[in-house]
Amino acid sequence: MNFDLDIFMDALTQRAPQYLVEHLQLVVIPLSIAAFIALSAGIILTRPGFRHLADRVMVLFNAGQTIPPLAVIAIFFPFLGLGYGPAILALTIYALLPISRNTIAAVSAVPREVLDAARGMGMTSWQVLCRVELPLSVPTIMAGIRTSAVLTVSTAVLAALVGGKGMGAIIFAGINFFRPELVLAGTIYIGAMAVAMERVIAFVEWLISPAHLK
Amino acid sequence: MITLDRISKTFPGTDIPAVDRVSFQVNAGNICVFVGPSGCGKTTILRMINRLEEPSSGRITVNGQDIMSLDPAVLRRTIGYVIQQIGLLPHKTIEQNVSLVPELLNWPKSKIKARVTELLVLVGLDPGTVGRKYPHQLSGGQSQRVGVARAMAADPPIMLMDEPFGAVDPIVRIHLQDEFLRLQQHLKKTICFVTHDINEAVKMGDYLIILNMGRLIQMGTPLEVLTEPADDFVLNLLGDDRGVKILDLTRCETLMDRDRNFPYNPDSCLIQSVKPVKIALELMMKKNIDQVGVCKGERIVGVLTWNSIKEHISRVSRDRP
Amino acid sequence: MGFISFIQNNSGLVLEYTLNHISLVLTVLVLSLGLWIITGLIISRHDRLAGAVISLSNILFCIPSISLFGLFMAVPGLGLGRNTAVLVLVIYAMMPLVRSVYLGVKSVDYFVMEAGKGMGMTPSQILFRIQIPMAWPTVFAGIRVSVVLITGIATMATFIGEKTLGRLIHQGITRGNADMIIAGAVIVSLIALLLDYIMGRIEKKVISPGLRYRTND
Repeated sequence: MNFDLDIFMDALTQRAPQYLVEHLQLVVIPLSIAAFIALSAGIILTRPGFRHLADRVMVLFNAGQTIPPLAVIAIFFPFLGLGYGPAILALTIYALLPISRNTIAAVSAVPREVLDAARGMGMTSWQVLCRVELPLSVPTIMAGIRTSAVLTVSTAVLAALVGGKGMGAIIFAGINFFRPELVLAGTIYIGAMAVAMERVIAFVEWLISPAHLK
Repeated sequence: MITLDRISKTFPGTDIPAVDRVSFQVNAGNICVFVGPSGCGKTTILRMINRLEEPSSGRITVNGQDIMSLDPAVLRRTIGYVIQQIGLLPHKTIEQNVSLVPELLNWPKSKIKARVTELLVLVGLDPGTVGRKYPHQLSGGQSQRVGVARAMAADPPIMLMDEPFGAVDPIVRIHLQDEFLRLQQHLKKTICFVTHDINEAVKMGDYLIILNMGRLIQMGTPLEVLTEPADDFVLNLLGDDRGVKILDLTRCETLMDRDRNFPYNPDSCLIQSVKPVKIALELMMKKNIDQVGVCKGERIVGVLTWNSIKEHISRVSRDRP
Repeated sequence: MGFISFIQNNSGLVLEYTLNHISLVLTVLVLSLGLWIITGLIISRHDRLAGAVISLSNILFCIPSISLFGLFMAVPGLGLGRNTAVLVLVIYAMMPLVRSVYLGVKSVDYFVMEAGKGMGMTPSQILFRIQIPMAWPTVFAGIRVSVVLITGIATMATFIGEKTLGRLIHQGITRGNADMIIAGAVIVSLIALLLDYIMGRIEKKVISPGLRYRTND
C-alpha cells in the first residue's frame, strides 16, 4: 500500500484539527435541537389524548429511517443552497428519529401499576410525569440520545458535500485525491469525538438518573 | 430404587457444603418428599440424581447402577423431571412439548401421537383443543399439568419433581395434588418430590426426608416424623397444629377401644375403621356427641371416644423435654 | 413531481443504477447472514470472546462509512469498485447481526433450557431445538435493521466508483438538480421498504406462532 507517513502526520497535526470545531458544531447544534423537539414530541404523544397517534408517528419515523443519510443531507440543498444551514437542518432531522422513538417507547413502558399507585397517592398528571414517568425513562431516553450522537458524529462528515465543511472536508479530499492518509487522519478525530460524546452523555445520564439506577 | 451414599456437594467458591454427607434410599413405587427451608440443599440433592449437578463426593445409584457410569443425557431421558417454572418450550405446541422425550428416544411417529393423546387425557386436558395451543395460551394450572405430562411421556419409572405445584394458587394446587395422588395409585412411579411446604410434604409423601443447612435431620413416614420429631428444628417445621395433622394421618382403628360395647341404635354415628381420626372428630363436634362406632364393612369392631382422642393428642404432641 | 419525469426521461440509467444497487445489497446480505450469524452463535458459547467481538463491532460501527470506503480503497487487491464496497458493507452489517444473534441466544429463558437439559437433551440439541428457534424473533429484528442499513449505506459506494443509486444523489448535488436527488432518495427508500417488507413476510413464516406474541413488544 502506498502510505506516506509525512502526509499523514501533516494531515493529523496541521490540516485536520482546523475542522474540529466546525465538526463539533455540526454535531452539538443539531443534537440539542433534535433532543428538545424529540423529547417534547415524545412526551406529548404519550399523553392520554394523543396515544393513538403515537403508533402512526412511529410508522412514519420507521419509514423515515429508510431514507439514506446521503439523501437526507442532499435533499435540502436545492432549496436552501450551499452552506451550514441546510447541513444543520438535515442533521437535526436525522438525529430526531432515535431520540423520539426511545422516548415514546420508554414512557409507554412505565408499568401501569406504578402509574396507578402514583395517581392513587394523589399526584397530579404533571407530578406523575415529572416524578415518575420521566425519571424511570431516563436510561432508555439517554440511550436514544447516545445512539443519535454517535450517528450524528459520523453523518456530519457528509455535510462537506453540501458546503457544510467539518471533518468531512479532509476525508472527501482524501478520497478524491486517492490519499488514504487524509482519510485516516480525519477518521481518527471522528472516532475520538464519538468516544468523547459517548462519555459526556454517559456522565450526564449518571447525573440525572434516579438513585437506584446509579 | 434410588440410593444415595454419603453424598456431599460444595459449590465452587464456597466453603460451606450445600449438601453434607447425606445418605438415604428411595424405594420403588414410593413418593419420597425432601422438605426444608430454602437453602437446605433439597433442590441440589434432586438435581444430583439426574446429574444436573455432580456430587463432590459420595455415590448415587439408580437400580443398582452408579449414575456416574452413565451418559448424563441418556440417564435423564429415563427420569421424568418437573420444575416449578415448568419450562415449556414457547415455540412449540403443547403436543410437541409433550412429544419431546419420545422424539429424543426415536419412537415411531404413530406411537408418539397415541401416547401424547393418552397423556393429555390422563392429566385432565382435552387433546383436541389444548394439544394445538401454544404455552402462552394456557392458564397456570394447565401449564403445570402439561409439565407433568411431558415428564411422564416416555413412561419413566422415576420422576423428580421440584415444587411442581408451587406456581399456582392454593385452590388449584390442592386440586392438582389430589389428582396426582390418584394417578400415582395406578402408576406406582418412584418419585422424589421437593417442597418447602410441610403440609404438602405430609400430604404427598410416603416418606419424608427433612433437611436443614445441607444435613439430613430426620427421615421417616409422615406419621413417624409427626409423632417423634427428632429435634426443635423439626418441631418448628411441623407447625403448631402438629396434633391435628397427626389425627389426619391416624386411622380410627388405631385409637378405638375394641372391648367396649357400642350401644347401637338407628341414630348412632358410625365411621369406617380406615378413615382418619380427624373425620371422626369432625363428626362428633357436628353432632355434639362424644363417641362414634367404628366399623369394618358392616360389622362394628370398636368404639372411638372423645377422651381417647384427647389423650392421644396430649400424649404425642407434648413438647419434647 | 419533477423527479418522476426525471426517472421517465432517464429510465435506462436509473434502471442500471437500481439493479446494481439491489445486486450489491443482496450480495452483502447473503455474505453477512452466513458470516455474522455463525459468528454470533460461536460467541454465544464463549463469553470472553463475546465481549471482544461485540466491542469490535461497536467500534467499527462508529467509523463513518465514507472513511471505511476511503481506507479500504487504498488496500492493494481491493481498490475502487465492488470488492471494497462489499467488504465495507459486510463490516457495517456486523454490529446489528452479531449482536442480535448473541442477545437472542443468550436471552433464552434459563428454566426452558434447564427443562430441556433435564429431559436429556444434549448441548447441541439444546442449541438447535431450543436456543436457535427461540432466538429467531430477535435475530430477525437484527436482520431487518441491517437490510435497511446496508441499502442506505450502499449509496455511499458511489464515491469509490460503484454505480449505485448514490450516484444520482451525488451528481444531483454537483449539478444542483433537485429532481435527480429526490429520484435517487425515493428509489433507495423504496428498495429498503420493499426488502424490509419481504423480510417481514419471511419472518411470519419462520417464527413459531408461540413466539409471535412477543415480537410486538
